[in-house]
Amino acid sequence: MKKLLLATALFSTTAMANVPIMGTVESKCVITTETPGIYGNPTPSVLSTDEVDGGITPVVRFDVATADYYKAVISTPDSFSTAPALEDVVNWSGDVSVSEVTVAEMAAYDTNKRVYNNTHEFDLTIAGTVWFKASSSAGYGYDKSFPAGNYNAVVEASCIAI
Amino acid sequence: MLISFGVSSHQFTPTYPELSQSYMPKVLKLEMQLLNKRQDISYYELEVLDIDSNPVSFAARQKIFEVQYLKRKNIEVYIRQADKDKAYYVCSKSKILKGQNKTSPVSSKICSKIIK
Repeated sequence: MKKLLLATALFSTTAMANVPIMGTVESKCVITTETPGIYGNPTPSVLSTDEVDGGITPVVRFDVATADYYKAVISTPDSFSTAPALEDVVNWSGDVSVSEVTVAEMAAYDTNKRVYNNTHEFDLTIAGTVWFKASSSAGYGYDKSFPAGNYNAVVEASCIAI
Repeated sequence: MLISFGVSSHQFTPTYPELSQSYMPKVLKLEMQLLNKRQDISYYELEVLDIDSNPVSFAARQKIFEVQYLKRKNIEVYIRQADKDKAYYVCSKSKILKGQNKTSPVSSKICSKIIK
């Protein structure tokens, strides 16, 4: 009986030793749209994604498998993709900030970001997941009321290899 | 613990694609793969850009193509030998159909860096 158990153990050990385990870590970036935005209309002349204004701020998630391979470039809207005919200028403002992180050090992305026009650039120097909130606000003319209708604008989130 | 609901993402790999000779002389080829995990998006657009994000001419079977939700698509991008040094990024960008969204959507764009 002992011989049989020993033989079985040896046999199974040999079989297990032949099972290969392989893995590949690929440097890749995944952009996930967690929350699409909604404009609130706190006053007739303002559309805003801020929660206090009745809107919903869009949230974009970036998953990076390897550090220092990508930068996140997020642009807040500077025009409507859908809107009724507008006869006056629209004054746009927006901001992008880190809202959640999986690694505490990612909080430094906010202080190290580069901002130009309506675009915010973040170097993704730490592997893991980071969530960005992209707020947007539009004012119509000089305190003019926006015409009734549907308003949509697009936040562009890019992940660019460096 | 992280729990995520309604996840929708876009993947474009490899990160550093290499230019290789195509079946045509003086034309180089890149092989890319796109995975569409965005339920709200069915169309993507290809772009080839220089280092300053200016467009570089290229050819592909379709520059705007359909990828169904949870499907992968293998893509071949053709670049002239003469544009080899100019072509710096190959990008895929989600296309949002007009009137498709009631909310303000997020457009995703992923750029891979071309290795010469």
